Amino acid sequence: MIEKLAQLHPEIALFAATCIVMVLGLAKSSFWRGMSVWVTGLGLVAALVLSFFSPQTDGMLPNSLPYLKAMIAAIGLMILPLMGGTVDRWYERTVGRGASFDPLRVTRGEFYAFYLLSLMGVMLCVTADDLIWLFLALELTSLPTYIMVAMSTPRLRSQEAGVKYFFLGALSAATFLYGFAMLYGATGTTQLQDIAIHFRTEGMGLIGTLGLVMALIGVSFKIAAAPMHFYTPDVYQGAASPVSAFLAFAPKAAGFVVMIQLLSTVGWGWGEHGIALPEALRITLWVIAAITMTFGNVLALLQSNAKRMLAYSSIAHSGYMLVGLLVGPGQGPIAGNGLGAAMFYLLCYGVMNLGAFAVLACLEKRDEHGELVEIETVEDLRGLHAARPGLAWAMTLCALSLLGMPPLLGFWGKLGLFTSGISAGEIGLVVIMGLNSAVAAFYYLRLVRAVMLDTRDEDMDRPALTDMFGRRVAAGLSAVGVLVVVIWAGQLQAASDHATEVNPRIRQFNERVVEAEETPVIESIARND
Amino acid sequence: MISVMQTIPATLASHAPAAAGAAHAPTAPGDSSAIWLILIPLLPLVSSILCGIYRAWGVTSKLPGYTTVLALAVSFIVTLTGYLSFGGAGVQIVHGFQWLNISWGEAHGQSLTANFSLYIDSLTWLWMLFVTGLATLIALYSTEYMSEDQKNGGYARYFSFFSLFVFAMSCLVMGDNLLLLYLGWEGVGLCSYLLIGYYYTKPAAVAAAKKAFIVNRIGDLGLALGMMLAFVEFGSLEFSEIFARVAEIQATVAAGGHVSWQIEAIPLLLMVGAFGKSAQLPLYVWLPDAMEGPTPVSALIHAATMVTAGVYLIARFLPLFALNPTSLAIVAWVGGLTALLAATIGMSQFDIKRVMAYSTVSQLGYMFLGLGVLTATGAAYHVFTHAFFKATLFLSCGAVMHGFAGQLDLRKLSGLRKLKGWGIVTLAMLVGCLCLAGFPFTSGFFSKDMILAEAFVTQGPGYQALGILALITAGMTAYYSFRVFFRVFCGPVEFHPSDDHHGDSEEEHEAHEDAEGHHGFHPHAPGWAINLVLMVLIVGSLAAAIPYFVDKENHGWVGGLVHDSTAGHLVLPTVAHGAEDAAHGAEAVAHGEGFWSDPHKWMYYVSGTIGFIGIGLAWLIHMTRRTEAATAPIADGLKNAMRPVSTWCERKWYVDEFYDIIFRYPLKILSHLFYLLDQLLVDGLVNFAGAVPRMLGRSLRPSQNGLLQSYAVGMGGGVAVILFIVWILL
Amino acid sequence: MIDTALFAQAAFPELMGGITLYHYLFVSAAMFGLGVIGFLARRNLIIMFLCTELMFQGAGIALIAFSRYWMNATGQVFVIFVLTIAAAEAALALGLVVYLFRRRHTLDAQAWAELSG
Repeated sequence: MIEKLAQLHPEIALFAATCIVMVLGLAKSSFWRGMSVWVTGLGLVAALVLSFFSPQTDGMLPNSLPYLKAMIAAIGLMILPLMGGTVDRWYERTVGRGASFDPLRVTRGEFYAFYLLSLMGVMLCVTADDLIWLFLALELTSLPTYIMVAMSTPRLRSQEAGVKYFFLGALSAATFLYGFAMLYGATGTTQLQDIAIHFRTEGMGLIGTLGLVMALIGVSFKIAAAPMHFYTPDVYQGAASPVSAFLAFAPKAAGFVVMIQLLSTVGWGWGEHGIALPEALRITLWVIAAITMTFGNVLALLQSNAKRMLAYSSIAHSGYMLVGLLVGPGQGPIAGNGLGAAMFYLLCYGVMNLGAFAVLACLEKRDEHGELVEIETVEDLRGLHAARPGLAWAMTLCALSLLGMPPLLGFWGKLGLFTSGISAGEIGLVVIMGLNSAVAAFYYLRLVRAVMLDTRDEDMDRPALTDMFGRRVAAGLSAVGVLVVVIWAGQLQAASDHATEVNPRIRQFNERVVEAEETPVIESIARND
Repeated sequence: MISVMQTIPATLASHAPAAAGAAHAPTAPGDSSAIWLILIPLLPLVSSILCGIYRAWGVTSKLPGYTTVLALAVSFIVTLTGYLSFGGAGVQIVHGFQWLNISWGEAHGQSLTANFSLYIDSLTWLWMLFVTGLATLIALYSTEYMSEDQKNGGYARYFSFFSLFVFAMSCLVMGDNLLLLYLGWEGVGLCSYLLIGYYYTKPAAVAAAKKAFIVNRIGDLGLALGMMLAFVEFGSLEFSEIFARVAEIQATVAAGGHVSWQIEAIPLLLMVGAFGKSAQLPLYVWLPDAMEGPTPVSALIHAATMVTAGVYLIARFLPLFALNPTSLAIVAWVGGLTALLAATIGMSQFDIKRVMAYSTVSQLGYMFLGLGVLTATGAAYHVFTHAFFKATLFLSCGAVMHGFAGQLDLRKLSGLRKLKGWGIVTLAMLVGCLCLAGFPFTSGFFSKDMILAEAFVTQGPGYQALGILALITAGMTAYYSFRVFFRVFCGPVEFHPSDDHHGDSEEEHEAHEDAEGHHGFHPHAPGWAINLVLMVLIVGSLAAAIPYFVDKENHGWVGGLVHDSTAGHLVLPTVAHGAEDAAHGAEAVAHGEGFWSDPHKWMYYVSGTIGFIGIGLAWLIHMTRRTEAATAPIADGLKNAMRPVSTWCERKWYVDEFYDIIFRYPLKILSHLFYLLDQLLVDGLVNFAGAVPRMLGRSLRPSQNGLLQSYAVGMGGGVAVILFIVWILL
Repeated sequence: MIDTALFAQAAFPELMGGITLYHYLFVSAAMFGLGVIGFLARRNLIIMFLCTELMFQGAGIALIAFSRYWMNATGQVFVIFVLTIAAAEAALALGLVVYLFRRRHTLDAQAWAELSG
């Protein structure tokens, strides 16, 4: 029990911060209300530090806690300056103009609390080794985000985004819940390890396979993969840019972690070479990955709205990462660890995508009602270089990194996915991925051209720089990260590879089963283990 | 998969048997715990970043200069300490940090490792000592020289690039793998480009920077291809592993085996890179133009250090070159011919900085000749001495230019020796010219003799003829160096400031307004920093002769260093039988008893005499009967008598025009053709390629109609279809 | 037309206690399916939400049935948590729906279709 708690220290830190933030947000003094964002940061720092001391677990990915939780906390910290002031500034402005403070109308505390709770859910997905736990963690990740989307701006489109996100999210939750139920039905247990052993000894059966597929597809809502991707552009466009940046990371991280956990129950130690998934699953994932990346890219190509473009590109990036999941942990510690590549790519994506959204969030213009709103379209970004060279460079670096231009961070992330795909012999998928990257170049370079090369027409009104300093900090952090993290790309990749090593007990079990091949010994091993 | 799980010690351990099995490997490379050696490249980088920050802050004091001097001085001290601690300790490998480690399989050659690690042997020490040492001195010189740019921020920019250059150069020299070397190679090229184009408002400087950059690309292409081929052949980019493999090949060659053509092609490709960077035929054209940059840059980058990178590359891979005697012959001949050609051009130039530039090309030619005739010692020693005396010469020219408002034309300057405050500059110029001319008992004399003598004894296609050519060149060198000295520093006092500010930032100089003559123009004598640096360099140039007498059995201190490095262990396919160590074998044959059988001894006299003849001619032609700066009757008479040869020399043998005709115009025509092709075919293809995803996108776009229910239908339908497919597949 | 009596006899061999796992699963799948159909067909946000609840409870029934089948309590524990989550989601949904209704004065899902493309 105590050991179990030790795994949860980062989550506990976040939870403590959540409680404090919720109360602080209601404080009458605007100083204490303002402290809520700092407490949020403090909680994340504590979680980050504690993550490094996370112990090994007995779950499917025993070494995964330090790397994944630290990544979640670190990216969470990077998004925080972007988040700061997103929802509270209208109300604070009203209070500043002399209106009396009404604790029922202030939303600041809740917003940061939701932010922390959602990150906590992602971390719990990492710690989980049980279907019940996974289900709860996934819901904890997504429920707060529904509200964050809806309340992120007072505009109608945010509410529209909230509606779509919530209802489709509930549909997907029901889907993976039903999948979980079928997994339980097929194996009689909710423990992932026991499920894995059961599948290996008794076979998956129809219910097991269908359950697993349903669970995977349900969870693929979180990563915005086909066929659950439809909500993505609408929600990202409707939500405030900081929230969109958050959506592109946190639920996605949770989704990938859960998919890895689920796939590890059947996987990768199953086939002839010890690396392949069951054929049905492999084909399913192959098709999903190919459709996801193609869909995302071709639709991003048509966009003139930068936020929607980034949303579609988010779909495409999920497709790339799915290649890593398809490949699995690879044959050895060195060559072709697709899971490590996917998790490393997630980190890269978190860093570079943040910058792109942050630049959009940094610029504001007046809409038809005279309200200051964040800019959205590529048109608004034109000629940014002349007015705001720093932001223009941040956007350029992030767009080039998203495109996978060497030597930026995105290139190293993508390189891992490519090499793992090649080493697993998934040449077809790698070719599709390559073609997709080429298509992606069209629209990322359009962003770069808009900010760096195009000039602004004189009659167009120039977007103003936001008064929220944190957003600029976030853009700068991301741009610097895209350049600097490259230095440690090797180490991070190694850490990611190490984190995604599948439980050796399961591996050994699979090997022993292969050796024994259909003898009663299997039963005894299963019992003993 | 990039992975760093595989640590370098493990990599080394797995190849240790190969290294140990090689009979000729200097010492099995060992890990060094001396991580502080990483400061040598790191400090200049830090200084570069700091100077960049100063630039952004708009610092107008001399802070950037002093920061750079401090960082480089500490870097030099670290180098010196390192040399004193590890100088004789064989190869040190210092691991900075893991940089690249990509593998796509378990087998040998299926992984690419390139870390930020240093491979330090005695050759590295030699180079780093003079690179950091001279860089410190020249940075100090620049603090004064560049002071006029303090206000416009150019000062910080200059020192930022300067430090960056030292960082790149140390990566080049110290990197433990070809990729890091290549990075440094490109880095110095970039810094060279930036510094040549430092006066970016001057079209000539921009054109020169572009020319340097483009000509260097041709060489770099060769280096890149050589690197790739080396990776394919040796399965690694790391020096330790490459040399282990080379040692294996040497062993097979010694046993009578032959070398595959791929291995033979590697030195040929590397050679192209070296020719580009070190300004050899046919790629030397960029170096004289590079003198558009500030003079300290010419001294450091385009005379002392960067241009010797090619020599370093060949010396480093000399075992590989020795496996392909053809490549050595090419190196020798290219070097010899470059030396001669550049000397003829140098004889007829009037711009003293250009004379120095051509003399650099010419001296680099000597170094290549030395490498080609297998005296890496001679080449390295010449690099070492040349670094000192050429830096001295350039900085003297710089002082002249600084003092006379950019005047560099030797027809407009005369008798500076007699002006007040120019004593040290005159002395520096004299010492530099003596060394360059190979005056007996100067450093240049010994280093040049080593190469000349070796040319006469080494077996090779026409090497004797090459030796004679090199001797003639030596005479020419003596002539043109003293031509400058006699014209500019001796004779009647006369000077005219420049009317086109030549290369340096003399725009705001007060003297510029009255360009009429020396009436009212007051040349300003160099200040303490310039004089101090010049004095140190005078001592350095003269003292560079001392290493020749140290460690006599290895042909001097430099010889000892070279002998301990990878360049000291060669096996030639042709003379492999019976003579294990061919380079030393060849020298052993040559160094017999008796006067005429030791070429080093008789070369002292021959080259000394030739040097005297050259200086004497210069005196005769340019000193006697000269009454004013512009005219030297004998010189003008000779020039007329020797037409058209003298004109050809003056016009640099029309090489630039020749290149224009055979490269630029055809390329222009070709580019127009390609443009048409591009318009018709490629654009069409690209548009087509862009149209397909667009069409796909348009056809998929209706699915994103914004309706909650239709999204739900898509999702539900998708789930159903997938479940159905899975059910079918089961 | 299926003969219901025959069907009942085939499906329920023993009238009492003859209800097998498959019956429960059938009910659960039916609930889930009805939920999906309701979600797709109805445009009222509250009804749509109730349909997702129906899907959740369908899964719950399956869990209970499997729990009985495997003779362990895990499934029942799972159901408790599912109910909790469903309650949380209901609270959220109602809050959201009220909020939306205030903004637009309609509960029609089709009214929210500004974002598209």
